[in-house]
Amino acid sequence: MSTAAMSRIGATSLKIYAMEVILLILVVFLIAFAPGFATLGNFLNVLRTVSMLGIIAFGMTAVIISGEIDLSIGATAGLAGCIVAFVCDGYMDMIGEVPAVLIGTIAALAIGFCTGVFTGKIRQWFNVPTFITTLALFTAIRGIANLVTGGFPMPSFPSWFYFFGAGNLFGVPFPVYVLAVVFVAMHFLMKYTSFGRAIYAVGGNAEAARLSGIDVSLTKTLALAITGALAALSGILLASQVGSGIGTMATGMELDVISATIIGGTSLFGGKGRIWGTLLGVLFLGCIANGMTLMNVSEYWQYVVRGGIILGAVLLNQILERIR
Amino acid sequence: MVRGAIEFRDVTKVYGPTVAIGRFSHAFEPGRIHALMGKNGSGKSTLVKMLAGAIEPTLGELWVNGARVRFEGPRDAYAAGIVTVHQELSLVRSLSIGENIYLGRLPKKHVMGGTVVDWQRLNDDARALMADMGLDLDPRALVETLSVGQQQAVEIVKAMSFAPSILLLDEPTSALAAPEVAQLFNLIRRLRARGVTMIYITHRMNELFEIADTCVVLRDGHFVGATEMKDATSASIVEMMFGGVSMAKRPARRSVDRSRPILSVRNLQRDDVVHDVSFDLYRGEVLGFAGLLGSGRTEVLRAVFGADPHDGGAIVFDGETIERPTPKSMKKRGLGYTPENRKEVGLVQVLSSHDNLCLASIGRIARHGLIDRRLEQPFVDRQIRDLSIRVPDPMDPVSSLSGGNQQKIVIGNWLNTEPKVMFFDEPSRGIDVQAKQQIFEIMWQKAERGLSSIFVSSELEEVLEVADRIIVLYHGRVVAEVLPEETTLAELYKICMEGSP
Repeated sequence: MSTAAMSRIGATSLKIYAMEVILLILVVFLIAFAPGFATLGNFLNVLRTVSMLGIIAFGMTAVIISGEIDLSIGATAGLAGCIVAFVCDGYMDMIGEVPAVLIGTIAALAIGFCTGVFTGKIRQWFNVPTFITTLALFTAIRGIANLVTGGFPMPSFPSWFYFFGAGNLFGVPFPVYVLAVVFVAMHFLMKYTSFGRAIYAVGGNAEAARLSGIDVSLTKTLALAITGALAALSGILLASQVGSGIGTMATGMELDVISATIIGGTSLFGGKGRIWGTLLGVLFLGCIANGMTLMNVSEYWQYVVRGGIILGAVLLNQILERIR
Repeated sequence: MVRGAIEFRDVTKVYGPTVAIGRFSHAFEPGRIHALMGKNGSGKSTLVKMLAGAIEPTLGELWVNGARVRFEGPRDAYAAGIVTVHQELSLVRSLSIGENIYLGRLPKKHVMGGTVVDWQRLNDDARALMADMGLDLDPRALVETLSVGQQQAVEIVKAMSFAPSILLLDEPTSALAAPEVAQLFNLIRRLRARGVTMIYITHRMNELFEIADTCVVLRDGHFVGATEMKDATSASIVEMMFGGVSMAKRPARRSVDRSRPILSVRNLQRDDVVHDVSFDLYRGEVLGFAGLLGSGRTEVLRAVFGADPHDGGAIVFDGETIERPTPKSMKKRGLGYTPENRKEVGLVQVLSSHDNLCLASIGRIARHGLIDRRLEQPFVDRQIRDLSIRVPDPMDPVSSLSGGNQQKIVIGNWLNTEPKVMFFDEPSRGIDVQAKQQIFEIMWQKAERGLSSIFVSSELEEVLEVADRIIVLYHGRVVAEVLPEETTLAELYKICMEGSP
């Protein structure tokens, strides 16, 4: 094989595996320089932290690939925890612990799903960009969450409920299992179902997809609804972890979720992206935050670094795109 | 110094292992219209891009106005008096004509110590410039309110506002109907009278004889020959382009069973664009829609397919009365539609050829909503083989293919749904003669096997050649129905232009 051909293959695989390589470099760096990074306990801790983020980010990836955005997921997550807490608070004595948690959870997931449907339908009927609708929901849902709890933390869960957010199963934090299941499900959905293919087509060229007989609105609405439900799921785990329903929980999470998605190579223009890439983006953000804390980097500097990373990731993607 | 002289001396352009232009030498005489001919991928665009300063030759010399030039960017070409009018319109649709003409160099004036746009002067200048070229348009009108033909004219006015000595025209007529082409040609002749040298790329053979003075033919990146148009015939040019490939003619006219229509449209109405349109389409028939741009050809197809809503009328498809068609429901019933502007709405450019070939059949080939690429593979392979699509790797983005091959992907995408009826809207626009012929042959083959289709083309020769029967639309109405064997090109042109047989 000629050197030219080899370097071409090298360049191509660098383009494809750039994120993997960078994550690897980061991990090696942190193992070398961040005290306590390379322990099993810390590793599991990172995984637990990123789980809440990742569960939503996989949904967000689908939404962004479909050419839309969802800014309301942090608020939805907050509301979900509050709903479970509210149901436990009001009805646990009446109907028992397990039914109360179950009903609260189902209600929270359903409401999360419905916020997505709402956003999608507003988009379909009135052609309001999802950026606007979810920005409105971002504010309104946060208000509703605080109305549900009355503005105070609501530590009304039964004692065993902490397990979902803070407990371990076979030594591994429970949310990690949830993350794994959602990852596999979303990866499968995007790659091996006609719905997933429709998401790429709709985001790549909505009119071409419509003229090919694909239901554009339904596709986008479903992606948004799935993400809403995942946001609720993540919110319930968070509430379980902190032990109460808090109206202000997961504030700013939407930006972390979108950051992880973009770092993972998903294009905000739609049509391009991978669930796998988002997983890498999520891990990357988690490792950076954890590593910097271990290295005693001030919180303010952490913000600066993360900002730089988001821009750097997008620039890198653009440059790699050009090389090819 | 000779104003407007262009000479290529042994110019070569190489992209990686591909030779786009190989040792091209030719001197273009100043003040004349030179047609550049060659099938897609023959290197015409590469040649024009070098002149426009978009790319640099790998080897060889470029001489303009008697001096050797080296263009490092479009700016250098501008400075040398070379301006390009591209195939795709580059106007900002939401701005006015005047703003578009002077975009990036709006005239300024000083008011109270500040600088503001001098609208008065801008509009006056634009109006004068247009009047000078025989164009009567309000410079304040928004570009989006103009017809495609008018937009093309504005594009040329904009180019001429730079007072170039050389004008490069890349398929300026590809989106125009006959009368608009005639207007454009008047404009081009005016420019020639002023001594502007023009290089003109087109796929429309008949235009050459009307407008060009000479014709330069390229094949596979090499100079094949140059001829004065008065000495040329279309056969001699095709011979030069293809090296003696004979043009396929349609098979003997088949008899179509016209007892029961597969598609009946009655009194179709879409306010302002389609009025009281009725027609029948029979099994195995190729029905041609002729008419000028804006005559409602595309609008009728889109309304029946459900891409646009309609305001009245009845559609009966395969015995079933359709109330409110949508692309999704019509696809399910067996109707396919390849849109006229494939780049914008026919394909998802970021997806691969493979995915684009399975776009419309997305749910069909899947099993319980699950996609299996192995299951899709035969569908992809079949279309690539049947339509002779030249695609290096089906998993590469479809945007890497040439226009003709992209068009075949659009068609293959729909053939994979195994339709009963196909609407082909301008399938031959902007693609080379060979690809066109192949597409027509596919239509005839499918018709033999019972596929009914409606074929729309701005090129009336093609409609006469391809269709079994022709309906002529004029201002949104059906004004005539003719049989190709009983109609001459001139007659058909006349009906299209005048709206009556």
